[in-house]
Amino acid sequence: MESVLSFGLALVLAPLFPGIILKVKALFAGKQGPPLLIKYWTLAKLLRKGSVYSTSTSFVFRLGPLVACATAIAALLFFPFAGKAPLVSFHGDVIVLFYLLGLGRFFTIAAALDTGSPFEGMGAAREAFFGTLAEAAIFAVLILFFRLNGSLILAGYFTGNQPIAIAGPQGALLILAVVALFMLLLAENSRVPVDDPATHLELTMIHEVMILDHSGPDLALIELGAFYKLFLYAALIASLLKPAGLAGPFAGTLAFYALMAVVYVAIGITESLTARLKMNMVPKYILTSFALVFFAIILTVEIA
Amino acid sequence: MELVLTALGLILAGGLVPLPMQRWSTGARATHIALLAAGCLTGMIGLFLTWNQEAISAFSCTWLQVLPLALALDSLTAVFLLPVFLLAPIVALYGYQYLDRDVSPWQTGAHQLCFSLLIAAMVLVTLADNLFAFALAWELMSLASYLLVLYDHEHEESRRAATLYLLFTQAGALMIFAAFGLLFQATGSFTFAQWGQAPHAVKLTAFFLALVGFGSKAGVMPLHIWLPHAHPAAPSHVSALMSGVMIKMGVYGLLRLYFLLDEPAPVLARTVLGLGMISGVLGVAYALGKHDIKRLLAYHSIENIGIILIGCGLGMLGIASHNPAMTAFGFAGGLLHVLNHALFKSLLFMGAGAIIQKTGCRHLDQLGGLMRRMPVTGRTFLTGSVAIAGLPPLNGFVSELLIYCAAFQGVRLQGPDALLAMAAILALALIGGLASACFTKVVGIVFLGEPRRPLSSPIAESGLSMRAAMIVLALACVLIGLWPEPFIRMALHGLRDLVAPAAGSPDPLGSLPENLALATRMFLAVFLLLAACRHLVYRNKPVTQGATWGCGFTRPTARIQYTGTSYAREVVEFHQPFVKIRTVHKPITKIFPGLTHYASTVEDRAEIGLHRLLVAPILRVADKLRWIQHGHIQLYIGYIVLTIAVLLLVV
Repeated sequence: MESVLSFGLALVLAPLFPGIILKVKALFAGKQGPPLLIKYWTLAKLLRKGSVYSTSTSFVFRLGPLVACATAIAALLFFPFAGKAPLVSFHGDVIVLFYLLGLGRFFTIAAALDTGSPFEGMGAAREAFFGTLAEAAIFAVLILFFRLNGSLILAGYFTGNQPIAIAGPQGALLILAVVALFMLLLAENSRVPVDDPATHLELTMIHEVMILDHSGPDLALIELGAFYKLFLYAALIASLLKPAGLAGPFAGTLAFYALMAVVYVAIGITESLTARLKMNMVPKYILTSFALVFFAIILTVEIA
Repeated sequence: MELVLTALGLILAGGLVPLPMQRWSTGARATHIALLAAGCLTGMIGLFLTWNQEAISAFSCTWLQVLPLALALDSLTAVFLLPVFLLAPIVALYGYQYLDRDVSPWQTGAHQLCFSLLIAAMVLVTLADNLFAFALAWELMSLASYLLVLYDHEHEESRRAATLYLLFTQAGALMIFAAFGLLFQATGSFTFAQWGQAPHAVKLTAFFLALVGFGSKAGVMPLHIWLPHAHPAAPSHVSALMSGVMIKMGVYGLLRLYFLLDEPAPVLARTVLGLGMISGVLGVAYALGKHDIKRLLAYHSIENIGIILIGCGLGMLGIASHNPAMTAFGFAGGLLHVLNHALFKSLLFMGAGAIIQKTGCRHLDQLGGLMRRMPVTGRTFLTGSVAIAGLPPLNGFVSELLIYCAAFQGVRLQGPDALLAMAAILALALIGGLASACFTKVVGIVFLGEPRRPLSSPIAESGLSMRAAMIVLALACVLIGLWPEPFIRMALHGLRDLVAPAAGSPDPLGSLPENLALATRMFLAVFLLLAACRHLVYRNKPVTQGATWGCGFTRPTARIQYTGTSYAREVVEFHQPFVKIRTVHKPITKIFPGLTHYASTVEDRAEIGLHRLLVAPILRVADKLRWIQHGHIQLYIGYIVLTIAVLLLVV
C-alpha cells in the first residue's frame, strides 16, 4: 500500500518540479516568472485541444508519444521513492529500466523521422548519437554502484544495510558519481548546456525539434513523459544525497522531496549561468561524465 | 534420434522430388515446401521427445566400408537444431513467391535441391560426433550455400561474391581440419569424445586454429569480409537462412570444440570475449555507415555474432573462475540469442527482400514512405527492428539481459577478468545504443516520411506467402519477449550434458525469468492503459490533416528530407579511425558556384587490410610465376612426371 501511495505521489508531483526550474530562471533574469503550477495548466490546456497530423505520417507518429510516456511511467515503477519499497523490484531491474527508456527514445526518433521534416531528422540524428553515449555512461554508473553495493536492483542501491549514499563511508567517491549523474541528467533530459528547451531556432534544438509536429493530447503525453524521465534522474541523485537516519514515513518523504527541489533548483541555476555548448562539443561533454564515473570505478578497485 | 533421421530424409526428398516436376512450377514449389515442412516438423517432434531424456541418443554407420560416421543428439545439438527446424520451412514459404517465375525451371530445381542440401547439412553438422561426419557435413554445408549464393549467376557481382565466399569458407575449413588433424595426432582417435585427453599445448593450438575457421564462418570481425558481399548477392530468403541459421554453425563448432577439449584456461574465454566485443561494436558501427539495406543487415549479423560471443565468452570465463551463476547466465544468454537472432534477422532480411522486389532499389537514400504502401512489411520490419535493437518487450532484450547479468557477475572477479567484464558491459551498452540508432535509421528512412524519388508505379504489398512468413516470425519475436520463461530454460537446457551442475545451487538463474516476464507484462499493461486513456481523450476532438510544418519554409520537397547518410554521419565519424570514411566532394569556391556533388562511402578497414597484406603480395608473387603457365601440354605432362619422380624419391 505504501508503495502504491508513493508511486502515485510521484506521478502527481512530477509536473510540479519543472515549474521550480522556470521560477529559478526567472529570478536570475530579474522577472517574476510563471506560477509554480504552470506545467499542470499547460497539460490541461493541451488535453483540451484537438490534433493536426501531417499527411506524411503513419501510425508510428501516433505511437511515439504513447510509448515515450508509457516507458517513463513504467520506469518509475522500479524506483524506491524516499526509500519506500517500489512496486516491482528484482535482480537486474536497473537494466530493464534503462532499456525501457531506450525504447521510448527509439519511438520518439521514429516519430520524428515519420514527418519527413529535415529539421526533425536533424534532431533525431543528434538524439540517437548523444543518447548512445549517455547510455554507455549510465552503464558505467551501474558498474560503479555494483562494485560499491553488489546489487543490481534499483531499490537495493538505497535500502538494505549497505546503502549507497553520500553520507556513507564511500561518500567521497560518490561526489564524482553525483556530478556525473547530474551531467547526464542535463544531457538526457535536453537541458542546457546540451539542449535548450526554451530556444526558438529549430536548427539548434534536439528534443524540442523532434516534437515540432505533435499537437494536442499527443504533445501532452510527450511533455508528461519528459517530466517523468527528468523526475527519475533527479530522484536518483536525490536518493544519493539523502542523509541516513531520517526515520518515519513523513520525515523521510519530506526530506526526499526537499532534496528533489534542491536538484531542480540546481538545474535552474545551471541553466541560468551556462550557455549552450556547440553541437560538436556535446560528445565531449558526455564523455567527461563517463570519465568521471570511470575514475570512480578505478578508485573502487584500489579499495578492494 | 530415429525421428531426426527421418526428418533428414524428408528434407532431402524436399530437394529431390520437385526435380522431375519442374514443368509444373507451382506444384514443384508446393511439394518442396510441403516436404521441407513435414521434415522439419518431424525433426522438431524428435527434438521434444528426446528433450528430457538423460541418455544421449546416438547413431553410427560405416560409409564406403572404411569411413566410420557417427551422429549423436545431445542438449547443445538440440538447442542449435531448433532454429534450423523452425526457420527452414518459414524461409522456404517466403521463397515460394519471392523467387522469379521467369527463370528456367532447371535453375529453380537446382536452387530447391541446394536449399534442401543446405538444411540437411546444417542438421548433420550439429549431429556429427566424429571427425568424418563433421568434415563431410561441413563441406556439404559450404558447397550448398556457395551454390545458393550463385543463384543470380548472370551477374558479375554475384559471381565475385560467391567466389569470395568460397575462398573464405574453404580457407576456414582448412584451419578447422588442421586443428582436427592435430587433435587426431595427439589422441589417435576420430571420435570427438576422446579429444579431451589431448595434451594442454595441443588443445590450445587446436582451439585457436579452429577459432579462425569457425570465426570466419560465423563472421567474427577481422574474418567477416565475405559476409557483406555474399548476403547482398544472394536471394533474400537465402540471406535469411544463411544469416539467421548458417553462420550460427560457426558458433556451434566453437562451442562444441570448447566443451570437447574441456580446457578451462581463461585465455580461451578472454579471446572469445574480446573478439565478441570487437565484432559487436565495429559491426554495428559499419552497419550505420552502410546504405545498401542488405549489406547493412549483413553487418548487423556480425554485430549479433559479437553479442553471442560476448555471452559465450562470459560463460567460459564463468567456467574458468568456477562461478556457476556467471556460466549459466552467459551461456543461456548466448544460446538464446542464437535463436532470437535467427528469428529477427530472417524477418529483417525477408522485409528487405520484399522492399527490393517491389521497388527495385536497395539504397536507403532513395526509398521512403513505404509504411503506408506496404503496411504488413512495414509493421513486421518495425517489430524486427525493435527486437534486434535489443529493446524490451521483445525477444532481443531477453537474451541481452541474461548476458548483462553474466557480465555483472564477472565484475566481482579479480584482476583482468573483472576489467574484461566491465568492458563487456560497456560494449553491450554501446552496441545497444548504436543498434537502435541504426534501426531508427532504417525504419525512419525506408518506411517513414515520403518517398525520396518519384515512384514510377504505385507500390503494392508483397505476396501472401511472403507476408505470412514475416508475420509468423514477428509473432515469434513478440512471443519470446512476453513469455520468456520457457525459452530461457530451453537455452539453459543446452548446457545440461556439458557442464556438471554445481552442487547446492538448484537454479543458477534464480527467479529472473519470471520477474522479467512480470516486468514486460507490467510495461504492456501501462502501455495499454495509457493507450486507452489517449483514446478516451481523443473522443470528440477535432483531428485534422495538414502538411508537415516546414519551419517557415513554404516549398518543401521530398528531397530535403534527412537521408540515411546524414543521419548516421556523426556517429560513424565518432568511430574513426576504426572506420574509414571516404568523401568525394567538389567544394564551392566561387561566388556563383557551378554544379557540385558530394558522395561519401564507408570502407571496411579489414577489407583494406586483407587486400594490402595478403591479396596484393600473393598477386605480386603469382605475377612473377606467370611463366610456369605457358599452355604447352607436353611441358605440363613433364611437370607431372617430375613431381611424381621427386615424390617417389623423397617420400
